[in-house]
Amino acid sequence: MRNLQTVDGIFLSLVSFAQIKNSNITETIDDSLDLINHEFPENIQNVVIKPNLCYYWDYTTGQTTDPNFVAALIDLLRTKISPNLEISIVESDASAMRCRYAFKMLSYEKLANSYNVNLVNLSEDQYETLCTTAGTYSFKIMVPKTIQEADLRINVPKIKYTMEPIKLTCALKNIFGCNPYPQKFKYHSKLGEAIVAINKAMNFNLHIIDGVIVSGIQPRRLGLVMASTDPVAIDKAAAEIAGLNPKTIKYLQLAKKEGLGNTTFIPKGEPLEYFKSKYPKKNLQAKLMSKAYSIAVQTGLSKKLGLE
Amino acid sequence: MEKIRLGLIGLGYIGKIHLRHCQRLANAKLMAASDLSKKALKIANDAGVKKTYTNYEQLLRDSDVDTVIIALPTHLHTQCAKQAAEAKKRIFLEKPIARNIKEAKEIILAARKNNVKLMMGYPLRFNPAFCKLKERIDDGTLGEIEIANATYISTGPFMHRAEAHTPLPVPEWWFNKELTGGGTLIDLGSHVINLLRWYFGEIINVKSHLGYRFNLDFEDSATCIAKFEHGTLGVINVGWFSQGYHLKIGLHGSVRSFSANHSPSNPITTVIQTLTKGYSKFHEGHFIELQHFVNCLIKDRSPSPSGEDGLGDLQVIEQAYRNQIRIDQP
Repeated sequence: MRNLQTVDGIFLSLVSFAQIKNSNITETIDDSLDLINHEFPENIQNVVIKPNLCYYWDYTTGQTTDPNFVAALIDLLRTKISPNLEISIVESDASAMRCRYAFKMLSYEKLANSYNVNLVNLSEDQYETLCTTAGTYSFKIMVPKTIQEADLRINVPKIKYTMEPIKLTCALKNIFGCNPYPQKFKYHSKLGEAIVAINKAMNFNLHIIDGVIVSGIQPRRLGLVMASTDPVAIDKAAAEIAGLNPKTIKYLQLAKKEGLGNTTFIPKGEPLEYFKSKYPKKNLQAKLMSKAYSIAVQTGLSKKLGLE
Repeated sequence: MEKIRLGLIGLGYIGKIHLRHCQRLANAKLMAASDLSKKALKIANDAGVKKTYTNYEQLLRDSDVDTVIIALPTHLHTQCAKQAAEAKKRIFLEKPIARNIKEAKEIILAARKNNVKLMMGYPLRFNPAFCKLKERIDDGTLGEIEIANATYISTGPFMHRAEAHTPLPVPEWWFNKELTGGGTLIDLGSHVINLLRWYFGEIINVKSHLGYRFNLDFEDSATCIAKFEHGTLGVINVGWFSQGYHLKIGLHGSVRSFSANHSPSNPITTVIQTLTKGYSKFHEGHFIELQHFVNCLIKDRSPSPSGEDGLGDLQVIEQAYRNQIRIDQP
C-alpha cells in the first residue's frame, strides 16, 4: 500500500527528507517513516532488505549501503514489528561482483552474525519465472523465492550518478540488482525497460534511501534519510537532489506509465533544496567526461583505450 | 645486431601493459603471446602479434621465441619459469618472484642450471623520478639518510584498476591466500621494499602491523618499520583500501630532505597520450625496464633486478609477516 495524500482531489505520494541528528540513524529512519505516516502491517514474519552493494567499494565511497544503516533499520524493525522477525539481506552476483566476497568485504557477514539475520545470494536462490512487459519489450523475469515469500520487502538504495544513459541509480535501479542473472550487461541495450519490468515483478513495499554518505562527483557526508512507499516519487526527488532533470530520465517516465508510482509527490520534513545545495553535483568537466565516455563506449573506442 | 624474439605469457592487467610496450622496444620483436582467454589473444592479434597460444607450453616450444615475459598470477610463476628455463628461454618475470622463499629458490636454481638470464619486473627501479632519488643518495647531496618514508596506497585488485572507468571482474585467485602468497605487503610492499633495498642495501630487521579492513584472510594494509644495514630507518606504508593512487618516497638526510612521487595523469591527458602514442606516460617505467632487459641480453650482461633481488624482497616480507606487532590493544 502506498502512503498517499490528496491535493485538489488528486492522490500524491509522500516522500520524506530527514537529517541525521546526534548520529542516531535508527531514530532518523523512524522519523522519516513517521513523516510519511507509515505503519507496518500486522502479521509480518519475514522481511527482505535489499541494500545496494556495488563491486567491492565500501560505504565510505558513497557507492554502497552502509551496513551500520542496515543495522539501524534492523533494530527499528525488531522494535516496531517483532524481536523474532526473520530478516534476510539480499543481493545478487553481477558481472564484476561476487556476493560471497562482497558480503564479507563490505562487513555484511559481520552484521549477519551479530544481528542473527540471513545473507542471501539471489543468484543461488530458487526462483520462479514471471513474464512481464515494459514499454514495447517483453521480459521473462526470474523472481527469487526469498523475495517472493517475504511479507515485507524493503529497498535501501543510494543516490548515485551512473555512466550509463539512465543517468541515475537509486530506488528503481537498485531493485534491478535483485535479478539473479549475473551477466546483467545483457540488459544494457534496454536497461530502462528492464529496470521497470523487474520492479513490476518484485514489487517492493518500502524504499528508504541511505543518504548518510553520497557519492556524486566525490563522496560527501550528507546525513540524509529519505523514505517513501513510491519508488518513482522517491527517485524523482533523488534526481532533483543530484541536480538532474527528472524529465530526461526516461525510465522514470516509463515507470510512471507502467503504474509503479507518481512523478509528483508531497515533500515532508526538511527542505529538499537544502540537500540539493549540499549534494556534490557534477561540474562541467565531469559532465563533459561522462559525455565523452558514453561516446567512447558507443563507438568502441573505450575498449581500444583500455577504459573498459 | 641481434634481435630479441619475445614471447609474452599472460595477458591480464600487467600483461596488456607489456603488450603495448613490446611494440616500442628497440632490437626486440614480440613473436607470440599466450593466455587462456581467447578475448585477450584477440587483443594481441589486433596489436600485430602473429602467433597466439591458449597454452603457454606451446609458446615455450616455439623456436621463434628465445625470451619470455612471464606475467601470470603469482601461483603459476614457479612452474612456468622453471619450464621456460628448461626450454632455454631467457626470462623476464613479474614481481613477486613467487609465493614463498622455497619456490623463489627453485626458480633461481632452474635459471642457473640452464644458464638462462632472469630479470625481475620492478618498474619503480626504472621510473625517472625514483632514479633521480638514487642519484641524490649516491652523490651525497642529501647527506646520510636517517629516515626513509615509502608510501604506496592504491586501489588494489578489489577496487578500480588504475586505467578502468567501470569495475572489472576480480580473478578468483586474488581472493585465495594460498595462491597469492599474501596480501598488500607482497603485492605493493614488494615494490617499495625492492626500491629501498636498491637505495640502502640489506634490511637487517623489520617489524610490521597488518590491517584487515576488508575482512579477508590476508592483509589489505601494512605498516612496516625496517632497519637497513647502514643505519637508515625505513617506514613503509602500503594499502589497497583507497580508490585513489598515491606513491611517494620521502628521504630525510643529515643535509636535506627530498621526495619523489608517481601519480597518474588526469584522464584527459591519459586518453590523449594513448590516442597519439599508443601508451600513457604513467607506465613509462615498465617500458624502460623491458628495454633494459633487452639491452642486457644483447650485450650479454646480467640484468638487474635479478632473481636474487626478488628472493631478498620475499625474505624481508616473510620476516615482516613473522614479526607482527599489535597496537590495537593497550
